[in-house]
Amino acid sequence: MSRIILESRDVRYRYPGGVDAIRGISFHVRRGEKVALVGPNGAGKSTLLLMFNGMLRPDSGTLLFDNEPLRYDTPSLRELRRRVGFVFQNPDRQIIAPTVYQDVAFGPVNLGYPEEKVREAVGNALRNVGLEGFERRPPHRLSAGEKKRVAIAGVLAMDPDLLVLDEPTSSLDPAGSEDTMELLEELHQAGKTIILSTHDVELAYPWADRAILMRQGEILQEDVPEMAFGDPDLVRRARLSVPVLLELYLELARRGLPLPGKRPKTSLEMIHLIEQAFSRGGRPGPCGTIHVCDVDRTGPDSLARWLASRDGLWIGAMGTRAKQRAAEGRITLDFSYGVIDKCLLRALGGESSLILTAGGMVQRVEIRVKSFAGEWGTEIPVEVVREQ
Amino acid sequence: MDYGFLENVAQENGLAGVSPYVKLAAGLGALLLVLLSPTWVIPLVIALSLGIAVLLLARIDPHLYAHLLAAPVLFAVLSVAAVVLVTGGGEVYWAWQPWPGFALSVTSESVSRGLLVFSRVLGGMSALFFIALTTPMTELFVVMRRCRVPMPLLNLTMFVYRSIFILSDQVAQVHAAQRMRLAYSGPREAVASFGNLCGASFIASWECGEDLIRAMDARCYDGRFAMPGESAPVQARHLAGAAMYLLAVSALLVAMVYTAPGGWPV
Repeated sequence: MSRIILESRDVRYRYPGGVDAIRGISFHVRRGEKVALVGPNGAGKSTLLLMFNGMLRPDSGTLLFDNEPLRYDTPSLRELRRRVGFVFQNPDRQIIAPTVYQDVAFGPVNLGYPEEKVREAVGNALRNVGLEGFERRPPHRLSAGEKKRVAIAGVLAMDPDLLVLDEPTSSLDPAGSEDTMELLEELHQAGKTIILSTHDVELAYPWADRAILMRQGEILQEDVPEMAFGDPDLVRRARLSVPVLLELYLELARRGLPLPGKRPKTSLEMIHLIEQAFSRGGRPGPCGTIHVCDVDRTGPDSLARWLASRDGLWIGAMGTRAKQRAAEGRITLDFSYGVIDKCLLRALGGESSLILTAGGMVQRVEIRVKSFAGEWGTEIPVEVVREQ
Repeated sequence: MDYGFLENVAQENGLAGVSPYVKLAAGLGALLLVLLSPTWVIPLVIALSLGIAVLLLARIDPHLYAHLLAAPVLFAVLSVAAVVLVTGGGEVYWAWQPWPGFALSVTSESVSRGLLVFSRVLGGMSALFFIALTTPMTELFVVMRRCRVPMPLLNLTMFVYRSIFILSDQVAQVHAAQRMRLAYSGPREAVASFGNLCGASFIASWECGEDLIRAMDARCYDGRFAMPGESAPVQARHLAGAAMYLLAVSALLVAMVYTAPGGWPV
């Protein structure tokens, strides 16, 4: 089990007006975890998050980062804020500078990096969030989703260990929300620990490794999402709602149609359970092939030729770089979020698909498909598209 | 309404790839020639040539350009009418004395003076619009840094620039919310609504300032501010084009001054 990166021990905080915002909260987060703080407005989520990088100091109790109690002198706070990147709810209130480059460079410059290192940090951060070429744009000319990405790039440029995001998808349209969650998944794959606050249970349920339900400054429940959201009474007390998939699963069980196995987090898992419970005589035919293409290793012409030679493929892109390449090559995407699961669903129906991705994600796709096929006791071929 | 529309137009103009130094040199050089010129022809030539540059090279919407020029032209027409009627000298074309001690007249000198004022307003505004429509503020920050504008002043300018768009959005939202609820329906309501708008905007800007400080703290603010990356480099052909334009207009100015029948000044 990985090391604890952040720990809260009986933390309490009261706003100057006399409102108890946090009333004795204890929990911990391990390195590499994805944790969702879920609760209604006024539950104290944002207040708690602001304590993680020392913006607020608890009245009592202790916060530990990397097993060291937080210290509130200026040098310690600077180091803490470098290692704990905080993304505010409203990017307009976080983006300070008149151009994207200047804003992303804000942290590195204030950390005293030399100019070359600042340029490198900004370049890497913008590449990570898929905003290469936006350097000279003023923030007011960006969409809400792009502004959110600039805000995330601004903290990534300081290379933090822990990313804290306050309501990352509020005010974004569904596509913007999906893009942001996909980006967070990429960052998690790159080794970042992520804590976010939200009241969107449908967002938190499939994404989080662990969900912490909060109400009136207290933790109501802390567990894996399948369990944390699985108690309708608790969920109602937290002024939330049970995720649709989980509600369906529980409702089927209540009507005497229990599905075998663990509670589903995605449509794919739900289909798996339904097929397990109701299919007779096994799968009707062979599974479709999942093709994977590393856009960094396959030229646009080569990919276009490969695509021209195949009809009826479902196409999905994972990651910002792959999506950019798809846009440049005018490739219409069928899936841009939860791509592997959606391609697995198509493969089970006998249809083939193509996943565009980049970096080390090809291997991730192969591992995920193999492990899924193993669980299902079936064979799903994966083929890597090579440069032609 | 998009309150930052001039800046937005400048961000996407057809001369975005030209160095801001070249555009500033051309714009400010033209402005200087407008002010130096004793004849009304030169400012008019500059207004026409810069207008063509703005429309054809920078590809600015002609309607927008006409809309922008309409206000200063209207102002110039009113001012010129006053100048022509009140000043005198030379051959008198028309005169009227409504009461003793006050006369209105149109004379040859008052007409030339009026023409000069009008063409200077038009030429000057064209030069300023050329700069405003082709050089966004983000490029001017680079120039200001090169010109050694003190860093605290430059940082403050950049903060203000960023805040203007956030605050103008908020003002627009409050204004729209007021109008939806029938504010500004009469003079008394208009005054009260405007007061509320100012109050709401002040509170919004205060909160915005507090958030800004929090955001800066969260990102290790230590008094430093990244500077914009380099602007587009000066290209020889752009520089040559701007220099030839200014030289040609200067040559025309000199030729007109020295060949004028009455000598200097025209």
